Amino acid sequence: MSIFSFFRSAPRPSAVQAKERLQIVMAHERAGRTGPDYLPMLQQELLSVIAKYIDIDQNKVEVKLDRGGDCSTLELNIELPAREQLKSAMAAVKGAKPEPKPADTADGEAKRSAANGPLTDGGVKKRH
Amino acid sequence: MSKIIVMTSGKGGVGKTTSSAAFATGLALRGFKTVVIDFDVGLRNLDLVMGCERRVVFDFINVINGEAKLSQALIKDKRIDNLYILPTSQTRDKDALTREGVERVLNDLSKEFDYILCDSPAGIERGALMSLYFADHAIIVTNPEVSSVRDSDRILGVLNSRSRRAEQGLEPVSQQLLLTRYDPDRVERGEMLKVDDVLEILAIPLLGVIPESQAVLRASNVGMPVILDEASNAGQAYTDAVGRFLGEEIEHRFVSPQKKGLFSRLLRRSA
Ligand SMILES: Nc1ncnc2c1ncn2[C@@H]1O[C@H](COP(=O)(O)OP(=O)(O)OP(=O)(O)O)[C@@H](O)[C@H]1O
Ligand SMILES: [Mg+2]
Repeated sequence: MSIFSFFRSAPRPSAVQAKERLQIVMAHERAGRTGPDYLPMLQQELLSVIAKYIDIDQNKVEVKLDRGGDCSTLELNIELPAREQLKSAMAAVKGAKPEPKPADTADGEAKRSAANGPLTDGGVKKRH
Repeated sequence: MSKIIVMTSGKGGVGKTTSSAAFATGLALRGFKTVVIDFDVGLRNLDLVMGCERRVVFDFINVINGEAKLSQALIKDKRIDNLYILPTSQTRDKDALTREGVERVLNDLSKEFDYILCDSPAGIERGALMSLYFADHAIIVTNPEVSSVRDSDRILGVLNSRSRRAEQGLEPVSQQLLLTRYDPDRVERGEMLKVDDVLEILAIPLLGVIPESQAVLRASNVGMPVILDEASNAGQAYTDAVGRFLGEEIEHRFVSPQKKGLFSRLLRRSA
């Protein structure tokens, strides 16, 4: 490869991409052959923990998985209940403290963990 | 004792039947008494590729069900002495393949034949599982393409866990890669996985590389195993692969682009 093609950052040949994709997906599939698939259970338990504190609609839960070479990302997107319900839920949890702008806190939380790189244990994000 | 070989791939249409016909013919040409069995119940095709479609009376399933004798269902090849074909049923479904039935037929065949070659159907259902269950050797037919490589890996997993040898804790089924429809020009242009890439990923020994070749279609048109087309790349590549299977050391050919004359290079450039 010449120095010029380096600067042009020539697109990687498709065969190279094919090989990389195969290596990643197959490493996971081979690992998955031994031992049960724990993801469905992990997802269920995570949700039940969250459900202890927040009244979530099971239909508004989105689960995404991205299998990577070095690390994988499991992303849980959970639509939280409307502001009013959330307020009372927060009040119930935290007692009679002044209202801590729950919506912003939830958003900030999601952004921070996204910036930290891959979430390995799930992220909770609020949608309006 | 005869050896049982399965030609398998997981993915469909990668060249199992083409390779089964070529391999069985090649083994018979070397003097081994060989039978090739079609396990693709309901989708009989080996008979066409072998050119014996008009001579099928009874089939594998008839023999399993005791409706015909093995000797009645076996078709002797007209060109090559030691070669026999056991066609499959066109009308039944794959549930007709019972493990006991298959075992009985294979046992009977092994009294007479040196090699029993099983042409697996695509997938990992009953037909495919039955074709590999009793195997001593597996030839993994793979195209240099992502889904075929992945499916081959799946099949390797099945061979290592659900074959007779695996279940009974015997020496594992030996596994070799037959990379087919290989196009060295596309590989050179970075458009197709290299032999080495596929070997690195699947991590099994290489039996042969069969180039993409127009001779394959020509051969199947006339019902002649392509290995008999001695002038063709594909035919020669299969002959080499059979030699390697028998333990000979033969260098791999047809893995790099053919040297082109100036004329054809100019032609391609202007194309
Ligand atoms: N080396 C080759 N060059 C060109 N064409 C090929 C080559 N090998 C196989 N083919 C073509 O690919 C097609 C599929 O081949 P074949 O029937 O042998 O595959 P198969 O794996 O047995 O398919 P199935 O999974 O349906 O049983 C056929 O049309 C055949 O002619
Ligand atoms: Mg076939």
